[in-house]
Amino acid sequence: MAVFADLNINYTDDKKQLRDIIETAAHLGYSTVAINHLIDLQPKKQEIRKPASVDELFRQLPVVQGKSRPIKVLNRLTLGVSDASHFRPSADLKYYDLVAVVPKTEKLFHAACMTFDVDIICITVTEKQPFFFKRPPVNGAIDRGVFFEITYTPAIKDSTMRRYTISNALSLMQTCKGKNVIISSGAEKPLDLRGPYDISNLGLVFGLSEGDAKAAVSTNCRATLLHAETRKTALGVIHTIKKTQTVEEDQEQEAPASKRAKTKHV
Amino acid sequence: MVRFKSRYLLCEVRMSDPPSLQLLDDRSVFTALRNAVSRAHGDYGAGVCGLSFAVKYLNARTGVLFLRCRKSHYRLIWSALPFVSSLESRGQRLPCAVDCLHVGGTIRTCQKFLIRYNARQIQRLLPQCRSEEECVEVRRAVMSCSLKELEEEEEEEDEERGEVSAGQ
Repeated sequence: MAVFADLNINYTDDKKQLRDIIETAAHLGYSTVAINHLIDLQPKKQEIRKPASVDELFRQLPVVQGKSRPIKVLNRLTLGVSDASHFRPSADLKYYDLVAVVPKTEKLFHAACMTFDVDIICITVTEKQPFFFKRPPVNGAIDRGVFFEITYTPAIKDSTMRRYTISNALSLMQTCKGKNVIISSGAEKPLDLRGPYDISNLGLVFGLSEGDAKAAVSTNCRATLLHAETRKTALGVIHTIKKTQTVEEDQEQEAPASKRAKTKHV
Repeated sequence: MVRFKSRYLLCEVRMSDPPSLQLLDDRSVFTALRNAVSRAHGDYGAGVCGLSFAVKYLNARTGVLFLRCRKSHYRLIWSALPFVSSLESRGQRLPCAVDCLHVGGTIRTCQKFLIRYNARQIQRLLPQCRSEEECVEVRRAVMSCSLKELEEEEEEEDEERGEVSAGQ
C-alpha cells in the first residue's frame, strides 16, 4: 500500500501552530509532509533564506496513524515568478527538498513546463486561470516528470474559490488526462487539513478517475520526491556527498554510480 | 424482495478545542451536512440527501459520527464532506473538520473498525503517559475491549482517552 503525503503546509512563524498542523497530519495518516516557504521573485535582489531545521520544531516526531514510523518533514520552496529571467538556478535552492513554481502568464507556464529545473508547478486556485493549458507544454512536463499541484484549502474556505478551484482543475484535467497531478492542502490551520481518503474522493470532483485520484495523494507525491532527489544528483546516477569524518579536508567523494544510486535512501 | 443497500460512513469530527464537542447534537450535524452537500452539488445533491440520508449515531465526547446513505450516491455525499468547515449548534458557530475514517456496508463492520481504531489510538497515546501506573491503567482498558460489551466499554474507553489527553 502506498503511503500518503501532503506536500504543501504553509510555513508560519508561530511554532506551536506549525507543530499542531504536523501532529494533525500524522493523526490523519500522512507519512510525509512538506513545509512550504513562499517567496515572490522580484527583479531586484531577493534572498532565499535557509529553512529552519525540523529538529527545532520537535523533540520527537509524532507517529503516523496506522504505522509505527514517525512522520517525515521536508522543506519546500515555492517561487512566484512573473518574468522568466528571474528564475535562475542558484545554490540556495539546495537547502530545500522540493522546489515549486507559480507561473503567472502563459509564456512562463510554457517555460516552467519545458525548461525550469523544478519539481512542482502550482495551478492557481484563488482566481480564474488567465490562460488555457495547451497540450505541448503539459505533455513536455509529463515527459520530464514535473507535477502539477492543486491545493484544496481555498476551496474549503470559500464558495467562490471553490468554483475557481473546480473549473481550473477541470481545465487542467482536460489537457493532462489525470496524469502527473498531485493534490495537497496548503493548510494554515490544523482544521484545514482533511484525511487522505477524503481527498482522494474529492479528486472525483476535480475530474480525476478513481485510480488517478488515489495516486494524486500517494504514488505521485512519492514520484515528486524522487524527482526532487535526482535534482541534487548528476542525472540521477551519481550522487556526491561531503565527507564529515575529517575536518580539515572536506573533499567530495564519488561513489560507484550504480551502487550509490541504489543504496541512497530516499 | 431485494433490500435497499446502504453505505455507512464512519466519520470523526475534529475541533480546535475538544470540550466544545459536547455542544453537538444529531440535528445540527445533519443540517450542516445537508447544507454542505447542497452547496457542493446543488439541487441534485439536496435531492439525494432527502433519500435515506441520516445521522445514525453521534458520540458527543469523541466526535465519532455514523452516517447512512444509499449505496448508489455515497460518493456524492462523501465528496461534500471536506467542505464542512463549521457546525452551528445552540446559536454558536463552531469551526470544525469532518474526516471519514471508514466506509462500510453494514453498521456492524464500522463498529468493528471503530474498536480497532480506538485501540490503536490509545497505543499512540501510550508513549505520552507520564507515570507507569497511567500506562498500566490505559493498557488494561485496551485489553478488556470486546464487541460483546460494546456499549459500556466504549464509554469507559472514552473516559480513558479524555484522561490521557488531559494529562498531557
